[in-house]
Amino acid sequence: MVDELLFFMEVVVGGLLAGTMYSLVALGFVLIFKASATFNFSQGAMVFFSVLAFCGFMQDFNIPFVLAFILAALLMVVVGLCTERLVLRPLMNASEDTVLMATIGLGYVLEGLAQAAWGVEVRRLDLGIGDFPVPWIADNLKLFISALDIFAGLVAALMIIGLFLLFKYTKIGLGLRAVADDAGAASSIGIPLKHIMLLVWSAAGVVALVAGCMWGARAGVQFALVDLALKALPVLIIGGFSSIPGAIVGGLIIGATEKVLEVYIGPFFGGAIEGWAPYVLAIFFLLYRPEGLFGEKIIRRV
Amino acid sequence: MNNSSANILDIKNIEVRYDDVILALHDVSLKVPKGKVVALLGANGAGKSTTLKAVSTMLASERGKVTNGSIEYDGNSINKQTPSQMVGLGMVQVLEGRRCFGHLTVEENIISGAYSRKLSKGDINQELEKIYTYFIRLKERRKSQAAFTSGGEQQMIAVARAMMAKPKMLLLDEPTMGLAPQLVAEIFNIVKELNTKEGVSILLAEQNTNVALKNSDYGYIIETGRVMLDGTAQSLLNDDKVKELYLGISKKGRKNFRDVLKEESLTKRSN
Repeated sequence: MVDELLFFMEVVVGGLLAGTMYSLVALGFVLIFKASATFNFSQGAMVFFSVLAFCGFMQDFNIPFVLAFILAALLMVVVGLCTERLVLRPLMNASEDTVLMATIGLGYVLEGLAQAAWGVEVRRLDLGIGDFPVPWIADNLKLFISALDIFAGLVAALMIIGLFLLFKYTKIGLGLRAVADDAGAASSIGIPLKHIMLLVWSAAGVVALVAGCMWGARAGVQFALVDLALKALPVLIIGGFSSIPGAIVGGLIIGATEKVLEVYIGPFFGGAIEGWAPYVLAIFFLLYRPEGLFGEKIIRRV
Repeated sequence: MNNSSANILDIKNIEVRYDDVILALHDVSLKVPKGKVVALLGANGAGKSTTLKAVSTMLASERGKVTNGSIEYDGNSINKQTPSQMVGLGMVQVLEGRRCFGHLTVEENIISGAYSRKLSKGDINQELEKIYTYFIRLKERRKSQAAFTSGGEQQMIAVARAMMAKPKMLLLDEPTMGLAPQLVAEIFNIVKELNTKEGVSILLAEQNTNVALKNSDYGYIIETGRVMLDGTAQSLLNDDKVKELYLGISKKGRKNFRDVLKEESLTKRSN
């Protein structure tokens, strides 16, 4: 009985830690959604593109780890810059649907560019942190929790705190929140939309790189990362598209439930249900609570 | 009035189209002398907002374009400017319907107006205190979420936010829309104060003809995208046509536009 409980705990904790990465990627979506009211379908491609470039810098050019990471982050800022200039600015006055379609196209471009530049084979990424249980926790709490999961959770938490501070206490953060509320009014008082767009796309790019590193370290840097990142979609449906706390909680919920479902219900379906179980959960949310758990309801004074 | 350098804004015969098709302004010319308040009056759809947006260059975001004529602000043509560049040049529009940032606090809303200026935290606080002397109500509510403040307070937030950009000229689009008479007076008092104490020139679009003219130096009346009448505020207030059609007062008693037309056709028939 105790063993079963411990095992359940293990599954949940592992799921929550893995969920922090979903939270992080979902956060990238929320940023872009807040600034341009568009679901950025190219986020998955950005994950793949950024981490493949990171691996490429290290493995093909023998650039040291830290420098390669910085280069890849800078590359994502450049991608953000190009996206703003070449895709978003020409579509500034187009409908949200048009921008949505443009992000799908952008996704294909990024996938193609990444593979053209770095090849199609699966690459190994070693972060120096093994994907095995931490002995100290295993000894004292009798829980087998992977060091990589814990590291990923910590990194995600730090990034989330950093982004929160950025939005709450900096000038550009205030600008972003203003644009998110009313882009027209923001531009009428001189907040340049292009700066805000550049900020959110760069932030989303760096977030994609971090998430890509964590997932790449576990499963190899490969094309499947694109679909993995799209799990942010059910995360956002559950958490609410425009809510940063929603993205965080939604990610944790998806992370934990998909692992629990995989372990306890998966065998009845022949396993591997964690790929689609989150989407089923999302459908239930769409039916019964479409604004998500934390979705900002439109505030109307009465 | 004729000396061009005395005008901060000089609109000459502009024509505005939306989507390259819909003609919103046919021919609008108007001048705003430095340091004065000019009222732009007219009914819904007359072209007041379009005129203001043409000046602030916000038209582009609504697929509108000035297709003819010219607009000069502070001696320079505003052809190629973006809204944020116009703010940098000291021209700020307060949009119709207040448009506060609902999820931000009152104070955050006001501070956001200083975005285009490079100010230190100390400078911002100093400016903020100065702004609060005009908007005493807002100081009391500085920590509230803007969406939960009253309509009058939201209008004050919108004007205070614009003032944080340190404008030379304000474009106010229907600042009293949907407000109780007492608040209308309060808003206009603030506008007048900003005009006299801060030297801000003001172009004001209003439907509230009476109050607007009483607080302006000069007025323009536009209908279906054309200037129909212009003159000093005093002369417009005394004009019989304005009295009848826009103020609803005449020697024969209260009247609306339809009554005037009906009466005219009746007199024609009896003749």
